[in-house]
Amino acid sequence: MSNVISVSHLTLAYEDDKEIIKDVNFNIKKGEFVFITGPSGSGKSTLLKALYGQIKPREGSLVVGGLDITTSSASKLQELRTHMGIIFQDYKLVNEWTVAKNVVLPLMIAGYSIDVQDTQSKRLLKHVKLSEHGDKYPLELSGGEQQRVGVARALAKNPVVILADEPTGNLDDYSSNVIWDLMENACQQLDTTVLVVTHKIPSIFSLPYRHFIIENKGVYEVH
Amino acid sequence: MKSIKNHLMFILPLMAILLGVEFYLVFDRTTDSYEKGLKEGYSMLVVSKTPVSLDYLQSLNSQISSSKKIKRQEIVTEIAKGVSKINEKKILNVLPHFYSIHLGDYLGIDELEVIKKDLETDDNIKRVETFGSAYSSSYRLFSFIKLSLKIFIVFMAVVSLFLIIKQMEIWKYAHRQRMQVMEIFGAPLMLRSGILFKVAIIDALLATIFTSLFFLYLKFQWAANSGIDMMMQNKEELFKMTDIVVLLVTALLIVIIAVYSVVFTTKGEEE
Repeated sequence: MSNVISVSHLTLAYEDDKEIIKDVNFNIKKGEFVFITGPSGSGKSTLLKALYGQIKPREGSLVVGGLDITTSSASKLQELRTHMGIIFQDYKLVNEWTVAKNVVLPLMIAGYSIDVQDTQSKRLLKHVKLSEHGDKYPLELSGGEQQRVGVARALAKNPVVILADEPTGNLDDYSSNVIWDLMENACQQLDTTVLVVTHKIPSIFSLPYRHFIIENKGVYEVH
Repeated sequence: MKSIKNHLMFILPLMAILLGVEFYLVFDRTTDSYEKGLKEGYSMLVVSKTPVSLDYLQSLNSQISSSKKIKRQEIVTEIAKGVSKINEKKILNVLPHFYSIHLGDYLGIDELEVIKKDLETDDNIKRVETFGSAYSSSYRLFSFIKLSLKIFIVFMAVVSLFLIIKQMEIWKYAHRQRMQVMEIFGAPLMLRSGILFKVAIIDALLATIFTSLFFLYLKFQWAANSGIDMMMQNKEELFKMTDIVVLLVTALLIVIIAVYSVVFTTKGEEE
């Protein structure tokens, strides 16, 4: 199976030159489910940001979906992001848009017609059990519901890879389980690579997964 | 209420620029006839030993558009009153030839001096009188008014442009969440800045309409009923329909510059 993510001698640093991650190597294959854990401030979210091109690595190479992020142009990076589904702890929904419009944002960016967007938003909202909430605005929903909107948005364009940053960090157990189910399904049924940054791996998790720990600027796989 | 205020903060500086542009267009059109008058009313005096043709004078300087020979007999009759016919004939024989020459363009003092020098290089030309000082005072006053207006308009445009960009930054801040999210999901610059373009273009249209209405009012109400002859005669110069196109293009150009100047300073999603 081909690598979806290849990290080689990667070093990430803050603007003040303080290194967060140093000389890290790992590969992630298509369809794998990966957890990255580590203490607060260890660089989990920074690594994730580097994976979707928000932070440029200081050294090493970082290849995602065949594109080397360290050397890619802004337009290539933009194109790559359209094949990613990104989930945030704070949801990052557009509050002045309806839930339905939020969900189809990736389709809108890809230039799909309004009809396709409508059909897809209904399908996706049904999938995340929010069929009745399409016309509402994000702030009218609970935290768990908002995160389900975030997951639906991430799945909208059948992404090659899903990157999730503490997706259940602020949620109750019920909502957390719904989110994990959705991501497991995406991995299992669509062969999507899922990479989740979290404090704690869920106790009920049925899929085989890989587990990396970030510690002392290094990334180590737990076998 | 806040939204109206935000739009006015954009529309008013834009209108200031458009008013400046339109005032300049009006000034340029109305002073065009004055400029023509200055040009047509001006002539130089050339004194030559032998008769010269217009082509000959034009070969010395191409700015000369026409020449008129001043009849020597009339001069002699005027200066030789009471002189015998024989002496009058003698005076006429030694008298040089006089020409009044007109120019093709409205020229500055320095350019008049160049023409004078060009003509004086010819041995046949005895003397050239430009009447520069009389011409100069009107010309300098006119140039000063024109330059002052240009400086004022440019200054006003620069200040207004800064205000427009400032307002655009406020809009960008207001819509930053949406723009950041769209950027993360790979939206191109045009798409994620679409909201800024949308509001800016609407306001550009409104500013153009308001400015056009103001000048239409000046043309059809104020100038027509002012009782001022000059205004009533130049009523048509106050606003032309083609001015709407000029104003609209200017307004759109300004908003595009403003949006791009703000959007390109975006560093990207900050967390």
